[in-house]
Amino acid sequence: MASFVPRSPETLEDQRLYTQARLVEVECLDCLARVGVKKNSEHQTSVQWTAEAQAQCPDLVRRKAAADGARLVHARCPRLAASIEAAVADGRIQIGAEDGY
Amino acid sequence: MADPTTQTRTLDHGTQPERFARGWHCLGLARDFKDGKPHAVEAFGGKLVVWENTKGELGVLDGYCRHMGGDLTQGTVKGDEVGCPFHDWRWGADGRCKQIPYARRVPLRARTKAYETVIRNDSLLIWHDPEGSKADYDILPPELPDVSNREIYTDWIWNTVPIKGSHCRELIDNVVDMAHFYYVHFAFPTDFRNVFEDHTATQYMASKGRPDVAGGYGDADMFLKSEATYYGPAYMINWLEVDYKGFITEVILINCHIPTGPDSFLLQYGITVKKPEGLDDKTANFIGKKYADMFGDGFLQDVAIWENKAPVQNPLLCEEDGPVYQLRRWYEQFYVDVADIEPEMRARFEFEVDTTKANEFWQEEVADNLRRIEAEKEASVVEPVETSEGAS
Ligand code: FES
Ligand SMILES: [Fe+2]
Repeated sequence: MASFVPRSPETLEDQRLYTQARLVEVECLDCLARVGVKKNSEHQTSVQWTAEAQAQCPDLVRRKAAADGARLVHARCPRLAASIEAAVADGRIQIGAEDGY
Repeated sequence: MADPTTQTRTLDHGTQPERFARGWHCLGLARDFKDGKPHAVEAFGGKLVVWENTKGELGVLDGYCRHMGGDLTQGTVKGDEVGCPFHDWRWGADGRCKQIPYARRVPLRARTKAYETVIRNDSLLIWHDPEGSKADYDILPPELPDVSNREIYTDWIWNTVPIKGSHCRELIDNVVDMAHFYYVHFAFPTDFRNVFEDHTATQYMASKGRPDVAGGYGDADMFLKSEATYYGPAYMINWLEVDYKGFITEVILINCHIPTGPDSFLLQYGITVKKPEGLDDKTANFIGKKYADMFGDGFLQDVAIWENKAPVQNPLLCEEDGPVYQLRRWYEQFYVDVADIEPEMRARFEFEVDTTKANEFWQEEVADNLRRIEAEKEASVVEPVETSEGAS
């Protein structure tokens, strides 16, 4: 059963635009986990994980086990962050939308 | 499809869900239900009865008696059961009718809706699921170490605010809404991050108060470090570190709510302060009260917005906005059948926003405001005859 049903079909297009458009696949140089990355500006980054990628990143797996449902430690995986920086430096990730988003 | 850049944009109000979220919901501090009387709690479009049995445990049932619909919240606690005011059927916390004083037997079918309960961080939590599943104890909010120890933490200050005319998703949206902290709560966010994963959604924020407006989250001398996680749809733990002129206080803010109807909910928030070393109880409690007032005012600032805004399924974002659509996708998992939960609703999503651009602009605006305030002060000194009506 669906909830919060949009009335306009264009809303579905908005959902796609904001959650999927411009996501560039980046592979972690260490664990090879593949995530989607979007940058709206130099210092702003969105990272979309998948269950497979999460299971592959030793950093995330270790921290999740250590937290055991309690206060979570949410810092990004430093190796993935470095891989993303490398992708940006290579020009593989476009920064910002063309139309102001 | 027509070119969206030349078209007038319309708000899609959408259709609100017909159900209430699945998950743990907090009804309030457990002690407030422990006075030997049945208590009424509006929830999930109806009313619940809450009472304490002889062992000190709390029972939660649908508020209306399955016999002839009597209001159990107006009944009487009798031993372990709650007795209905209409014909005194006695209901137990397991949902079964235990006794009908005037009848030889209790019908085997005499079962009502009972909620599974847990006491967590001094609060009463109940499991709600429109599909009627067993409670999932693995996703309970975590226990806060020492929070019940009055030597270490001040007593809770617990407040409730009924909200009418808004779906509780408006409250959830705050998790990603960086810009509103400046405009609504008068604070500069200096660092802002979100992480959504499984049943949790977190906001990290560091901010300081605006010097040009009073009544927001602190003043220019106050730095806030905040880490706030929703554990499920309705219970957030907010760990706060408040740095006031170098004096650091640890504050825990519980922000939770109970949906009461399709567009109403009861907002509840509780505050406790870790007693700073070398500070007497009176001062520690005073600090607790001060922060409770500050965050209470903060919620009222949100409420003023919610009560007047339109519901919108298709928010229009700029590049500096937070991930509203991803947050709502996460939130959706609590409203669909378990079988219909999509992997991306629970997959990890990380967001870091650059606050520099927004902050440059905001700093300038604040500086302008301060100059204007200064100029007005000077003007009023020159013309003392013209007394103004308050400083607002
Ligand atoms: S309606 Fe409750 S006992 Fe009759
Ligand atoms: Fe807010």
